[in-house]
Amino acid sequence: MGGLWLTAWRSLELCAGRWGRAASLTTAGLRLEPLLRPWRSGTRAPDGGLRRLGTWGLRSQARGLLLQPPRRPKSTNPFTRAQEEAWRRRNKTVLTYVTAAAVAMLGASYAAVPLYRLYCQTTGLGGSAVAGHGSDQIENMVPVKDRIIKVTFNADVHASLQWNFRPQQTEIYVVPGETALAFYKAKNPTDKPVIGISTYNVVPFEAGQYFNKIQCFCFEEQRLNPQEEVDMPVFFYIDPEFAEDPRMVNVDLITLSYTFFEAKDGHKLPVPGYH
Amino acid sequence: MSTAMNFGTKSFQPRPPDKGSFPLDHLGECKRFQEKFMKCLRDSHFESARCRSESKDYLECRMERQLMAPEPLEKLGFGDLMAEEPATQDRC
Repeated sequence: MGGLWLTAWRSLELCAGRWGRAASLTTAGLRLEPLLRPWRSGTRAPDGGLRRLGTWGLRSQARGLLLQPPRRPKSTNPFTRAQEEAWRRRNKTVLTYVTAAAVAMLGASYAAVPLYRLYCQTTGLGGSAVAGHGSDQIENMVPVKDRIIKVTFNADVHASLQWNFRPQQTEIYVVPGETALAFYKAKNPTDKPVIGISTYNVVPFEAGQYFNKIQCFCFEEQRLNPQEEVDMPVFFYIDPEFAEDPRMVNVDLITLSYTFFEAKDGHKLPVPGYH
Repeated sequence: MSTAMNFGTKSFQPRPPDKGSFPLDHLGECKRFQEKFMKCLRDSHFESARCRSESKDYLECRMERQLMAPEPLEKLGFGDLMAEEPATQDRC
């Protein structure tokens, strides 16, 4: 819109030709030009404004914006200009460092996952806070006789498995550091051999870390012939460190729960790296 | 296995047993020992500490019949029971 006015001024100036007032007209135009273009604010070098007078087309305006000369320092004093240049350079360096630090942090958070996995593999902790147990520990462990824990047993079957699976004792009283034996019984009432595979769960979760099975019947395929009934033992112990854990002070009941699934060919249970 | 869909809570990680899985006793070779153990448990109100010698007998039966990898009983936590036996034998 402002451009129209300016071309009008320009044409007037051309038409005026040798009129003495032409010069004053152009200066008036120059003074009015900042007001006529409200969408362009800020001070501008005098010659830059005149250059845009004749090129008011949209495409050429855009081109003018792209081909903008680099931002000039605001002051004309050469000493402060040098300082401004130095500040600008310093700001750019700081911005580069900050951006690099942000990108590095983001990369570190992504890299932490495989690195932690590697650390667990090398130290052998395997995701559990308690270090691995050896048979030497079983040999040398001392039962904590004043802490009696009740272990209850639970048995479940998956809906598609037609076994009768139940514990042979509902509960057993053990102390940490002493090995104990418990039995489950499973019967196959069908006329076909069925293969089952089981997994277990210990409640409460924190106590489950101290519950160690020396030998049991889980995570391996167990085959039952038609009309066969077997006893399935579980040989376990509770780590004596259980008695020293402050979080376990109120834990007197641990529930061991087994669930049997039918093992189909090609169907893999997510067993924990066993065999 | 707990299939809790809670974000952030730790889920239970089942661990494989230390010595693997018991082979099934299809022929019931150690059934007598198992019945003795269960009777002892019921008599002692399910206190595991009182029936440890019966459980030791059961595991020994399994080891004899190749239903369990043979292992010195001290390593299975029966060290105190083994220590008692030589003493009783000496007395006899």
